[in-house]
Amino acid sequence: MIDLPPPDATQATAPARKRPRGRLLVTIGLAMLIALLAIAAFGPLIAPYSPSKTSPDSLAGPTAMHWLGTDSIGRDLLSRLIVGGRSTLLITFVAVALALAAGLVLGLVSGYIGGRVDLAIMRVLDVVFAFPVFLLAIAVVAALGPTVRNLILTIAVVYTPAMARVVRGPVLSVKRWDHVEAARSVGVGEFAIALRHVLPMVVSPILVQTSLILANTIFTVTALSFLGLGPPPPDPNWGSMLAEARQFMELAPLTVIGPAVAIVFASLTFIVLANGLREKLDVGSR
Amino acid sequence: MLRMVLVRLSLTVPILLGVSMVAFGLMRALPGDFALAAAGTTAVSDEVLRTTRRNLGLDRPIWEQYGIWLGNALAGDLGHSFATRKPVAGELLPRLAVTAELTMIAGLLAMAMGATTGLASARLRGRTDWIVRGLNSLLLAVPNFVVATLMVLLFGLYFPTVGIFNYVPFATDPLANVGSLLLPALALALTVSVTISENTRAAVLEVSSQDYVMVARAKGLLARTILGNYLVRNALTPVITVTGLQLAALLGGSILIETIFTIPGMGQYLFDSVSRRDYPVIQAIVLVSSTIVLMMNVLVDIAYARVDARVSYD
Amino acid sequence: MDDRGTLLQVRDLTAQFNLDGVPSRVVKGISFDIAPGEAVGFVGESGCGKSVTARAIMRLAPEGSSVEWGGRILFRGQDLLTLDEHEMRDMRGRRIAMVFQDPMASLNPVMTVGAQIDDILCRHTGVSRRAARRRTVELLGLVGIHDPALRADDYPHQFSGGMRQRVLIAIAVSCQPDLLIADEPTTALDVTVQAQILRLLMRLRRELGMALMLITHDFGVIAGMVERVYVMHGGEIVEFGEIDALFAGPRHSYTQALLAAVPRIETARRTA
Repeated sequence: MIDLPPPDATQATAPARKRPRGRLLVTIGLAMLIALLAIAAFGPLIAPYSPSKTSPDSLAGPTAMHWLGTDSIGRDLLSRLIVGGRSTLLITFVAVALALAAGLVLGLVSGYIGGRVDLAIMRVLDVVFAFPVFLLAIAVVAALGPTVRNLILTIAVVYTPAMARVVRGPVLSVKRWDHVEAARSVGVGEFAIALRHVLPMVVSPILVQTSLILANTIFTVTALSFLGLGPPPPDPNWGSMLAEARQFMELAPLTVIGPAVAIVFASLTFIVLANGLREKLDVGSR
Repeated sequence: MLRMVLVRLSLTVPILLGVSMVAFGLMRALPGDFALAAAGTTAVSDEVLRTTRRNLGLDRPIWEQYGIWLGNALAGDLGHSFATRKPVAGELLPRLAVTAELTMIAGLLAMAMGATTGLASARLRGRTDWIVRGLNSLLLAVPNFVVATLMVLLFGLYFPTVGIFNYVPFATDPLANVGSLLLPALALALTVSVTISENTRAAVLEVSSQDYVMVARAKGLLARTILGNYLVRNALTPVITVTGLQLAALLGGSILIETIFTIPGMGQYLFDSVSRRDYPVIQAIVLVSSTIVLMMNVLVDIAYARVDARVSYD
Repeated sequence: MDDRGTLLQVRDLTAQFNLDGVPSRVVKGISFDIAPGEAVGFVGESGCGKSVTARAIMRLAPEGSSVEWGGRILFRGQDLLTLDEHEMRDMRGRRIAMVFQDPMASLNPVMTVGAQIDDILCRHTGVSRRAARRRTVELLGLVGIHDPALRADDYPHQFSGGMRQRVLIAIAVSCQPDLLIADEPTTALDVTVQAQILRLLMRLRRELGMALMLITHDFGVIAGMVERVYVMHGGEIVEFGEIDALFAGPRHSYTQALLAAVPRIETARRTA
């Protein structure tokens, strides 16, 4: 499981200076993300074959007709790989968006109101936080059934505490800042203060955290599919493709490569983005 | 010290209660009927179903059910498996031992790799730093089940003599047992080592800029003395803390690794139980692993506070 | 020009940092001498290059930064800037020692105080740990720690700031160096403790026959401590001379400004 590196891991030395590396990494990460999204969006148009079209030519190695070979019932692996990213990315983005929304609301409310409300919210989140993420995801999906909706909800719930904590921390420190005090003293409403002054301050750490959680979610979704707890067949997805390739490894070893590369590429996208954002936005430096 | 331990433990109790409620509630929220799931088939008579319900206590109020379940769990009774009808605790314990061993080896490997690369990164800086951090990003992007699958591909197919699927029980041959766990542990350790590496790097950089390291240099001490007594000894505490907190990640990852390498641990047990819809087992594993992780966090906190009491010089 | 009357001759010393590829010269070609057993003051506000000068003599670059030194630092006629790192390491702590500004952060928190004196003794005098510990206890007594044999096994956090500075002084004088550099040794301490530490430094200099290079931003500190003073400003030495002459009639406007900042009572005591 991917873990979040400490916020000060990157910037322990560098004094104030321009961060061209951060900008480069963000550019690379964005380019990878756009490529990923484009393939997901236009997948069915790009794919050379229908991902569910079978052929007698099963478990074939890479050929001119099938660049990545075919699976056990003769479906074109490249096409399945292209189309297979859609469900993974869909689940990932929707789940993280939900976690982000929930984390924002809970973190802002918790950090801003403080006191007993803060305590109650944090205690409940602590309980969710106490579970090993992947284990909880397996248990919930196993209990509720592996549908796309359940996967999304499960992952959203599992990552909400991490999001909420990232929001709450800066809010706690930001809300005592002078210009927030100033706004309050001239009678700006509490809600407007939260929205206008506090929220912008917490954007940078949230961006970094979101991309890290996106990488984590790619892991969780593909790992669940790998264990057979992903979106139900026949729709292709990377995790189950890797599992299937593993089954037939002795007959067609190279079929492992495609899904493996796809999974790594997707998580690398968000890790590069997170590292770049962290350097560019100077998150975590003292 | 004792006070601190008690306070820390008392803070954990409500979380543990919450965890147990989730673990319990999850299995009562099953679509369909718990009794039906227990029977394992839909083709049962109403009479049998009623008996099952009564036996499982499903006819009582939900809070009472929870109380009984929790009481049993505290007494070490984690219910009976739907599949084998045997007590879950008895089946779980030997598997837990296997997972504990795998996790421990992986933890040690991760610490060795992470500490070495992190230290090299922080001390040598420049190109080494750049390479280590680049590799770390890359490693972080390769999920452990992909690593494991590629390992299986590499060794199973091209170096079959290595025999990666030959799990040897500890009782049979302890040395061969550890040997058979090395590759799986490595697959499990890689991503965790990245976290340790990044934290080690940060800790060493932090310590390097401390005045006492400058004083050590001004004393004319040898580089290895400074490294050992001044840098590493001070950077060790945060690194060990981080390693302890990685237990959750290791336990989660072991589910995948054990399944791929066919190691008869808790992870594989969970996987089998999921495919068999053996809910009491799933419930027990969720409860037990969360408890272990929580307890580990408490231990890390206490250990840190102990060192901190001595370290704190402010 | 090997003057046997001097311990340290610094000629045209420059120090240049590289901040992200932009060179920045912090010490701009300064020259000065220190005679054996002499006490010399270096005065200037923070950032004037006095600490960098001190560290140049020790050849200590701040961790993680690159600094280039130019000119010559002749210690007993030998140019320290031409020594290799190995030879320089034998020099540090043994011939030239240093006391730093912040005693709270200058001791290793995870080693006992005694062990931090033992290690420098073992390094430079080649004695056994056991013999080193005997000497450590003597040293702790010498710098005024009560119950030195017991306190040697304590950790730094069990010591007050003033006590820690005493320990650091014990470390610095442990190998009887020829030159002791004290970089703002009292700045981080309470006023009452400051005087004690200064008196301790004076006493040790006399007893051990060390030269003392006392660096401070405060003319009040060096009053009564040193014979000669160098005033630094912007990486250069703007004025130097006998301390009495300087107090009596500072020529440079910067020196006048520094002197004006000294509390009346110190100047009064000095001129009285």
